[in-house]
Amino acid sequence: MGYNAATRPGGRLILSTVMATEAEVAALIVEALHLEVTPAEIDPEAPLFGDGLGLDSIDALEIALAVSRRYGFQLRSDDEHNGQIFASLRNLAAHIEKNRAR
Amino acid sequence: MNWTRQRERGSTAGLRLMAWIVTRLGFRVGYALLYPIAAYFFLSSSVQRAAIRRFQRRALGREPALRDVFRPFFVFSATLLDRLFLLDGRRRGYQLQVVGLDLLNERIARGEGCILLGAHLGSFDAMRAVADTGCPVEVVALMHQNNAVNAAAFFAQWGPRQAAATIPLGQPDAMLKAKECLERGGLVGILADRTPGTGKVMRVPFLGAPATFPLGPHILAGVLGAPVMIAFGVWTGPRRYEVHFQPFADRIAFGRRDRQAALEAVTRDYAARIERIARAFPDNWFNFYDFWEEMDAR
Repeated sequence: MGYNAATRPGGRLILSTVMATEAEVAALIVEALHLEVTPAEIDPEAPLFGDGLGLDSIDALEIALAVSRRYGFQLRSDDEHNGQIFASLRNLAAHIEKNRAR
Repeated sequence: MNWTRQRERGSTAGLRLMAWIVTRLGFRVGYALLYPIAAYFFLSSSVQRAAIRRFQRRALGREPALRDVFRPFFVFSATLLDRLFLLDGRRRGYQLQVVGLDLLNERIARGEGCILLGAHLGSFDAMRAVADTGCPVEVVALMHQNNAVNAAAFFAQWGPRQAAATIPLGQPDAMLKAKECLERGGLVGILADRTPGTGKVMRVPFLGAPATFPLGPHILAGVLGAPVMIAFGVWTGPRRYEVHFQPFADRIAFGRRDRQAALEAVTRDYAARIERIARAFPDNWFNFYDFWEEMDAR
């Protein structure tokens, strides 16, 4: 994992975990989709689909497959929060943090 | 000009009138009215006529006569008339001849799901009508929704059950829905000859000149390792259809490195197959737009 929990004071642990996951998910997206940006260049609050990063539903599928391989849980189409989950890197990372099996 | 920017022809008023006519007066009157209806669209759609002419020069290998150019307009109108009946479950009087159903049934029996690649060639409803006659698994269709929204809304009302089995492309989770359907052993239909104008596309030879095809359907098949068949239902006469299921690929495999090359190979294969079908059934070619993107640059 990209952070060391032992060195963090308790109160900041959750925030730093989310940020570490964000960076990790950004790297995962860039790798899975062969994007020509660096993970750090993805604005965590910009839309992933449409106007922001410009991803489409094929990219969503590939992200879902990569997430399931790395984090051991499925992103599903019947999740009523999908609009929110796929809205930005930040939301996606938060969703992964909440549901990851590994 | 991309098809998504071509104005929708006709209004739902025309469709409503046609629906009223077939409900009250039956198929024969509806069919007789196809001649004036198709003639109206033929005469008032010069861009579409020019587009069909370009297709036919390539597909027929000669300069098309006026009656050749009229045929797709007539056949397209006929499939719309039939859609009103087929969506409504009024199958009486229809003959759907099915070729290759055994191959599809083998796939279904293996329970691994199957992608059915079609094209805007013939009638989607004829295919769906075949699926409705006792297909043991779920069938869904991935559809672009950004063109012909009025007609789509009308038909969604007319055939709510079929509309419910449609996955609109454009939502981030569209392909996830397709994936889940395949995982349940279902069939996913995709028309793989039109691109939404942006995104993942490739130009490959089609009837002798490069045309742009979408990569999405092949990427879906590749990343999921799902088997793929070609499916189409062509109009062969009044209330007569031939529905074909043909093998295409057991599994489209590509690794990270050879992905582009593999995608190009499979897209070329698809275009070559559609080319053969389009030559065999030129009247069923329903891409009434500048397919080779050459008409703007005269």
